[in-house]
Amino acid sequence: MEQSATLTHSTAQIRRMKRPQWRHILPYLLIAPTLILVGLFTIYPTIRTLEQSLYEPGVSMRDERGRRVQQPDTFVGFQNYADLFIAQAPPHPIVGEFLQILGNTFIFAVVTVGITLPLSFLLALLMNRAVRGRALWRFSLFYPVLLPLIGGASMWAFLYGNTNGLINIVLRSFNIPTQDWLNTPDLVLWAVIVVNIWKQAGFYMIFYLAGLQAIPKDIYEAAALDGATYFQALYAITIPLLRRTTLFLLVIASTYAFQTVEQLDVLNRGMPANRSNMLLWYIYQLYPASQARGYVNAISMVLVVILLTFTFINFAFFERKEDDGQ
Amino acid sequence: MVNKRNGWSVVADIITAIVSLLWVAPLVFAILISVRPSSDPLSVGNIFFGRSITLENYQRALELAPWEWHYLTSVLVVLGVLAVQIITITLAGYAFARMKFFGRNILLFVLLIQLMIPSGVLVVQNLATMRALDLFDTRWALMMPYWASAFGVLLMRQTFREIPPELEEAARIDGANLGQILRFVYIPLSIPTYIAFSLVSISARWNEFLWAAMVTRTAEVRPVTTGLSQLFSATEAGTNYGQLMAGTILVVAPLVILFVFFQRRFIESFASSGLK
Repeated sequence: MEQSATLTHSTAQIRRMKRPQWRHILPYLLIAPTLILVGLFTIYPTIRTLEQSLYEPGVSMRDERGRRVQQPDTFVGFQNYADLFIAQAPPHPIVGEFLQILGNTFIFAVVTVGITLPLSFLLALLMNRAVRGRALWRFSLFYPVLLPLIGGASMWAFLYGNTNGLINIVLRSFNIPTQDWLNTPDLVLWAVIVVNIWKQAGFYMIFYLAGLQAIPKDIYEAAALDGATYFQALYAITIPLLRRTTLFLLVIASTYAFQTVEQLDVLNRGMPANRSNMLLWYIYQLYPASQARGYVNAISMVLVVILLTFTFINFAFFERKEDDGQ
Repeated sequence: MVNKRNGWSVVADIITAIVSLLWVAPLVFAILISVRPSSDPLSVGNIFFGRSITLENYQRALELAPWEWHYLTSVLVVLGVLAVQIITITLAGYAFARMKFFGRNILLFVLLIQLMIPSGVLVVQNLATMRALDLFDTRWALMMPYWASAFGVLLMRQTFREIPPELEEAARIDGANLGQILRFVYIPLSIPTYIAFSLVSISARWNEFLWAAMVTRTAEVRPVTTGLSQLFSATEAGTNYGQLMAGTILVVAPLVILFVFFQRRFIESFASSGLK
């Protein structure tokens, strides 16, 4: 390494001297870029969010000379969290708004996951056969996964349109009463759920397909010899053997469901009356109002806790198995 | 499974076809309506085609947002993120796969926090960071939070571990340094993983919307998804779906075309993206 050192030491000596230090530092140098970025954009903001969720933001005003003066933040403990449930927070949230939106988010997650997983399993069963035109079917089922969520949702905005939307035009031609899908309080969340089922089913399908292909064929042959029907084999062999896949998908699908909100931008933006609003969208909506900052940070922490809960479930079920592969 | 051509398998074929057609219908109708004259509403006449095929919707959609800038930004962001990611995940992936060092497991866990808490949830603080770094409303702000990828590190760690260590030792005996070992041993043997990672990364960054909408203001540095959002705000709801769908197609077409060419690869890549 150092040219001058070679004059006084043999190369072997240098290696003994330099190597250990270098080898000690090197791994840290290799992971440093990643760690610094994760620290800056994940860990630091998480800690700051937690900290600031305990403060009431100071008001920003102009003094007599017109300069901006920022009042210091006041420590309020868990007041911001309490406000989510019992008080109205600035600037516009109404009492109960947070609960409504939290409820929407859970309904959205539970229903989306609850329908998408069985559906994707069914699709995997259908696609796991020698079916003609397979490439075309596979394209049809998987392409929504790739689309920008906002792009996929905007296609549905057209399907859901009230007067010129495709669904209503088809309904009208059959003389079935039409619906204003995105403006009816009782329908809008379901309309959003359908979009997300359509978007995600193909993704989970490929995991079930991989799982199905990993099941040895002779198990089914043995079952057939014993006189088991297709549906008996499905119930007694396939579903139990795919339990791990299902658990895994349950966790990733739930985690994903709590942070999927971009579709709302083109599907009536959480309206009417917050009936399709969800936590992450609410955060983005409230963000511009600086006096709501403490409240917004509290909501962010609620979401972080929800996501961490699923991660720990994931960890408890899967990471132990993963780590023995050293 | 055993596939006898019996009644059940015909039923299954029909269900497959129906579901697939339902799934592809939104795309097909988006394309159809985007080339339908706006003077020729869908509620009148043939539901599939208008009286003629026109590109006027595309013309108007193109006029309503500075798409050339949006495309430029999206392409720059996709490439700018991917290029840096490849470097960071290779280095960290190698360290976690092949090196022993104090605190390795703890540091790996710290990395994994990125998978647990998506940056979208931390938007308030990350916007403050971007302002503090004076990067608000720049393309850098669209790229930097994604330069590190815990998913990519895990993927490379897994891939590198499967490469026989004897290859590395042989290279070392020949006097190769770490850079050469990575370049001539690890990277060439991991090309399929790099491709898989790239496809996932490209599609994720092309699809970026909320963070981009918050951290940029100037049209020139905003990606294509914000162009679509702007088109929606500029178009009166329920009136001009031709124009909206033209904009939608402009945004989704690059990915759909890419998918048509790399169908299998994409599906395999996305399967690995769930590995975490």
